[in-house]
Amino acid sequence: MDILVIHLFNALLYASVLFLIAGGLSLIYGVMRIVNLAHGNLYAFGAYVTAWVVGQALAGAHPVVLYLLLPVGAVAAALLGAILEPTLLRPFYRRAEEYQLLVTFGLLMILEDLMRFFWGPYPLTATSLFEKMGSLAIGESVYPRYNLLVIGIGVLAAAFLWAFVYKTRFGVVLRATSQDMRRASAMGVNVNRVYIQAFTIGCFMAGLGGAIVVPGQSAVLGMGVDALVLAFVVVVVGGLGSLEGALFGALIVGIVREFGVSVFPEVELAVLYLIAVVVLLVRPAGLFGRTA
Amino acid sequence: MSTVPLTLRARSPMKALPWAVPVIVLLFALPQTIDPYKTILLTYGLVMGIAALGFNLLLGYTGLLSFGHSAYFGVGAYTVALMFKYFHVRSMELFLLGAILASLVVSALFGFVCVRYTRIFFGILTLALSQVLWSLAFKFYGITGGTDGLRVPTPTLLGLPLDTGGDKILFLARNYYYYVLGFFVACALVMWVVVNSPFGKALQAIRDNETRAEFVGIHIRRYRFVAFLVSGVFTGIAGALWVPLNGLTTPDILYWPFSGEIVFMTVLGGFRTFSGPIFGAVVFNYLKTSAVGFTTYWQALLGAILVFLVLALPAGIVGTVVQLFPLLKKRLAR
Amino acid sequence: MKGPVTRRDLLAKLGVTAAATLGASAAGFGVAGIARAQEKPKGTIPDKPFRIGHMTFFTGPGAVLGEPMHKGNLLAAEEINAQGGLLGKRKIEILKADEAAGLDANVKEMRRLRLSEKIDMFMGITSSGNTPALGPAAEELKLLTIFIDGCTDNLFDKAVPNPRYIFRVTNIQSADGSTCALGVAQTWPDVKKVAHIHPDYAYGRNCFEHFSIVSKKLLPKAQNVSEAWPKLFSTDFTSHITKTLGAKPDLLVTSVWGGDYISFYKQALQHGLFDKMRVATTLALGVAPHAIGKDHPEGVLAGVHANYHFSYPPGNRWPLNKTFVEKYKAKFNEYPNFQAEGAYTATHILRTAVEKANKLAGGWPDDEAIISQIEGMMIAGPGGYVYIRPDNHQGYKDAITGFSKNVPEYPFPILDPARIITIPIRNITAPPGWPKGDPTSTYTWIDQTWPTVKQA
Repeated sequence: MDILVIHLFNALLYASVLFLIAGGLSLIYGVMRIVNLAHGNLYAFGAYVTAWVVGQALAGAHPVVLYLLLPVGAVAAALLGAILEPTLLRPFYRRAEEYQLLVTFGLLMILEDLMRFFWGPYPLTATSLFEKMGSLAIGESVYPRYNLLVIGIGVLAAAFLWAFVYKTRFGVVLRATSQDMRRASAMGVNVNRVYIQAFTIGCFMAGLGGAIVVPGQSAVLGMGVDALVLAFVVVVVGGLGSLEGALFGALIVGIVREFGVSVFPEVELAVLYLIAVVVLLVRPAGLFGRTA
Repeated sequence: MSTVPLTLRARSPMKALPWAVPVIVLLFALPQTIDPYKTILLTYGLVMGIAALGFNLLLGYTGLLSFGHSAYFGVGAYTVALMFKYFHVRSMELFLLGAILASLVVSALFGFVCVRYTRIFFGILTLALSQVLWSLAFKFYGITGGTDGLRVPTPTLLGLPLDTGGDKILFLARNYYYYVLGFFVACALVMWVVVNSPFGKALQAIRDNETRAEFVGIHIRRYRFVAFLVSGVFTGIAGALWVPLNGLTTPDILYWPFSGEIVFMTVLGGFRTFSGPIFGAVVFNYLKTSAVGFTTYWQALLGAILVFLVLALPAGIVGTVVQLFPLLKKRLAR
Repeated sequence: MKGPVTRRDLLAKLGVTAAATLGASAAGFGVAGIARAQEKPKGTIPDKPFRIGHMTFFTGPGAVLGEPMHKGNLLAAEEINAQGGLLGKRKIEILKADEAAGLDANVKEMRRLRLSEKIDMFMGITSSGNTPALGPAAEELKLLTIFIDGCTDNLFDKAVPNPRYIFRVTNIQSADGSTCALGVAQTWPDVKKVAHIHPDYAYGRNCFEHFSIVSKKLLPKAQNVSEAWPKLFSTDFTSHITKTLGAKPDLLVTSVWGGDYISFYKQALQHGLFDKMRVATTLALGVAPHAIGKDHPEGVLAGVHANYHFSYPPGNRWPLNKTFVEKYKAKFNEYPNFQAEGAYTATHILRTAVEKANKLAGGWPDDEAIISQIEGMMIAGPGGYVYIRPDNHQGYKDAITGFSKNVPEYPFPILDPARIITIPIRNITAPPGWPKGDPTSTYTWIDQTWPTVKQA
């Protein structure tokens, strides 16, 4: 019985991180109609920055300080996003969609090598936070408390985001711009500013995903490329452009994967893509998406 | 795609001759003048040129950006390897036949699913499907050799015995180069006919304005599907021709960044022109090889070039040259 | 071997020794040494530099293995160049190439290095996905090559069964799984329920297969109760750990390595995995010795790719290792792994072959002469004696593994010096004359010629 509970927690853990990455991707698409192929590398960037700050630069500091510094990766990713949007993406809004994919693909390659340039080829870890929280006893088993923290952060992020988008004025502006950019602009919305803000939030989410994941794992080169494909699978299932879609997509992917690993270990590699294909065949826009 | 395309006037194959003939003659003569290494590199370029030609039928002419063309390339390559492994085939012609059939089947399957969508969804779906193939090649390691890959020894060309005395470098730089060149010319010819035929015209109409094309009576989905098939088969042929160059096929060529490379080379050359993708493929080949030999930060270098390209030369190299040509003409006429 | 054999007998016959031994017996004469005084070469030697193309992972997650390989090469080249170069005249120049560029780019780069840059020799390669293509390519280019890793049995089993120009210096891949299984049979013969976690690619499969076949012979009552195949270079093992724990095994066997292994053991610690079962690995301590922390549990069977750990042979017992580790640490501020040791030894194999060929015929030896000297060479390297078998050009070195232990001298765990396990490599790999088999020759050889022990 306790094993079942642990399986559930694992699924939620995976889903939390996926939601942050995919949610960011979806938000950006929903508002700006851009698919950012380098989005996975912002997740990786967040992981690296947090690992470096917590694991190396300030490694000896008091644990409370380290916990508070955890989101530093998210902030760094947001800053990076704020720099990238006006410089590399804005020139393409009027152009064909294909160019966006291409420029973000080029960005993916540049960011990959940039991280290697700064942090070298070896994996970076920040495991002191993971270890300090110890483990919780669940029945006969033990479970790392840190994983529960991650799940908590994921839930909080989802709640925050929902409140932000549906309960604040800024959220109204965001949704208006996403539904009809021209009309919103005609009504006085500074679209450029909304775009940069949306992009920054999306990058913040991806970076946060990386930041909270890194103490339990490590920052390695290539993690961004893997994350991107996962994010794609989630938005395919949930629907591109929808935050609820990202949430439910992440949950479904998390649960199916956990089930797959436990019961059909051979299937692990293919299972995610198969989910995507099945959903695309049955309900092409995803659960909550719109075929814009 | 809403921007105005370069006018592609109706051209019969005859009109292309003034350009094509010198180029073909040059390509035939090249091995006599340049060293074997450069010739082999050019062979790679020509093979990728065929793939890019196929890919561009979808992008440049039908307006669909596929991010999963590695699937058909890989299918072509693995068909060759599996034909050797299980049936001990050595004939290049049989390999190509097998590759054409296999990529036809796979593109039909994938195409049927994908052409219901456009733009981003089309791209994501093609990516996801190619990843499914990749994971299958990875998993069924008993058949595909997994990450170790499958070896393919030197094939026989046209059933003729090899006269290179076991020197594979000579084989690649001479016999195989001409073989690939022959196929390249044939494929380019076929593609030229296709894009200038009524079918090709219809594709461009669909690309430019879907609604209007539908009202004119063009069955959108069917045309896209056929374009998808042709595109997939061309890329499959390229995959089959590619295998003997390395002698090994691994799941790498089914992985999605390889699809990205195909897109890169097409855009590099210019996807609004016919010859752009070919040029882009050859140049990209040299570019990547030089970058890898030059620095361990080759990825950033290529990425920066791509970004620069899209920012400054969106029409690609050939596209920009074609755009500048009338301006140059005007200047010279003064 | 007739009649039921006991495990103890079979282990003894296989030569599996678990003690602080001196290392394998040096059968054979003419053992070449690494540190020899330079003798004056015969005849005229050109002073053109000797160019070595070195291809390994400088980017991507594989760089954790690749960088040390290059460093080992550099260190050896420096030593040789300090004496004026090969034969005192030809200095070694190393041209780097990044293996992470992918198979296609790697083949092109090898050709470019040979045909355009005119390298004299090729070294390197980490990934087993590359040697089956680069091996034949090197043969086609008539390029003298020593592969440092890319250890797949496939290379000399299927891809190049009759090599001329290519060699490989580190132990063949099948040795990993076999060594791990023998270590388990020696130390924990009572295991009944075995769980597996292996990265889903050729290496993981190979370890699983060879562990299984050896276990079938020596631990016939052991059963597999759980399998997990995480993607290579994924860093999240939570689900796999949970699955393993659910199956309640006695032993976990894993071939996860590098950054993956670091994530794995840290996560497993928090799940209390090490308290609930024994753990045997094939490559835990072999990749980056300093990367594993002292929180790593002791008593884990810590594999080193059956090749080398810098702490063995220890101290003054094997001076070559002592000097190698000291020099490497001084130059690179880290401890060498098996790839570094392999590259270092390979460079000295080259030097030794050139010297011997020169002594016989004078002048700069051509490739054929160098090849003939490498074939059958037995050289003493930092890790022990390495023998290059003349028929398949594969290097053979006694396999080692051991148990993780924390000691005050080092800020990370090392192999417990009191419990090193060594196995003569000739007893666990397919011998000359054995027909090539599937999945590997060693697998069929073990399957068909080893007895199954009578388990009490």
